Amino acid sequence: MTINPDEIILFEWGWFKINSTIAFTWLVIFLLTFGSWLVTRRLSSAGKLSRWQNLLEVLVNGIKVQIREVSRQEPGPYLPFVGTLFIFIATANVLAIVPGYVPPTGSLSTTAALAICVFIAVPVFGIASQGVLSYLKQYLQPTFFMLPFNLIGELSRTLALAVRLYGNMMSGTIIVAILLTITPLVFPVIMQALGLLTGLIQAYIFAILAMVYIASASRAHEEIAKKGEE
Amino acid sequence: MIIDWYTVIFQIINFMILVFLLRRFLYGPVIRAMDEREQKIVQREEDAAEKKDEAEQEARSYRRKTEELAEREKEMFEKARAEAEKEKRELLDQAREEVDESRRRWKDSFEREKKTFIAELRRRIGRQALVVARRCLQDLADARLEELTWNLFLKKLANLPDQELAELKKALQAEGNNITIRSAFQAGSGQVEELKKNLGELVSVPQGELNLQTATDPGLICGLELDAGGYRVAWNIDSYLEDLEEQVLQELEQDISGGEESQAEEVSGDGQPEA
Repeated sequence: MTINPDEIILFEWGWFKINSTIAFTWLVIFLLTFGSWLVTRRLSSAGKLSRWQNLLEVLVNGIKVQIREVSRQEPGPYLPFVGTLFIFIATANVLAIVPGYVPPTGSLSTTAALAICVFIAVPVFGIASQGVLSYLKQYLQPTFFMLPFNLIGELSRTLALAVRLYGNMMSGTIIVAILLTITPLVFPVIMQALGLLTGLIQAYIFAILAMVYIASASRAHEEIAKKGEE
Repeated sequence: MIIDWYTVIFQIINFMILVFLLRRFLYGPVIRAMDEREQKIVQREEDAAEKKDEAEQEARSYRRKTEELAEREKEMFEKARAEAEKEKRELLDQAREEVDESRRRWKDSFEREKKTFIAELRRRIGRQALVVARRCLQDLADARLEELTWNLFLKKLANLPDQELAELKKALQAEGNNITIRSAFQAGSGQVEELKKNLGELVSVPQGELNLQTATDPGLICGLELDAGGYRVAWNIDSYLEDLEEQVLQELEQDISGGEESQAEEVSGDGQPEA
């Protein structure tokens, strides 16, 4: 039994190799993209809504509301990034219910990749909203001597982000695997259901934390915050 | 090492691709659709508000028109009623005037006829009264009355005023003392002689020179008339009656023109002559 899906190599050609993490990520990407395309190619802005469009609208609107509540800012610029984090992680986690599927989020590589994305996104959004100097000045707050700690904090929270998601997902998969060997009937199902819940919660936590980090980096724009209250 | 950096880079790229794809196929269209719907709802609400305003305005204008119509109707009704009332009053007035006019005309003509009738009646009554009086006196007049008449005449002659006496004398002289005495009945010789004697004394002419002739005239009604040429001395009831008739008729005319009615009786009452 392999703990790390990175080690399951499905295709290898020279240095180029496709492991199961990448393959299932592609699967998730394909499902999400295809599903969205399927629904959004026939959107109606008036009259009756298709139930799929309704679902997507609820989803997108929910994300928008969450972003607005957390950041107290207009969700527009953050929606694609934060929304995609949530949707990707949630889908990747929920699909774990499908037999034979190995969630990519159970790989530390994937979670690290996402955490790195957040790590990069935070200064990008911060600089975009308040400028380079203003953003960099944050690391000197409250004093110059706090710079190392601020940097460490920045790194450690990224690491925590990656490890938290990885640990939860990996443990879920492994617990089910272990339980299957001990009590093959019924109990693993409960743990699976619990895993679904955990997966959704983790997706939510990851997205929200990312949003919090980004928001704290671009906190200067208070007038947008006020606008966001509407 | 559980982190495979090759996979990490791959996953970062994958994630970036996913972000792009979802932005292209999910967020963009869905948000656009939602915005459009919101826009449309707002638009619809605005339209509805506008239409509601319009409808309210329309309703207000209709209400106002209805009120105006009712007002006008009432006004017209009032006017029509007033006109009818006026017309009625005018017609009534006219009818009343016409009635008054015809009544007045009738009354006038009636009055006129009444007056004419009364005047005629009075005239006739007056005449009749005189006729009756005359006949009555004629019936009463006889020889004895004649005697009284003679006496009265002699008395009158004796009391003749000086001026008339002088005229009588002058007339006698001019006629050669011819004198005629007319009476209703044949005069007695005694009476003639007495008259002759009295007359002689009166005019200072001897009895023998006086040529007295007698004549009868029934129209005199117990009266006497002495005719000495141009001068005449008379006493009879007929002359009284003629006077009376003249007077009565005169008064009647006055009464008729004065419109008094009660005079007729008085006139008939006054018809009795005084001897």
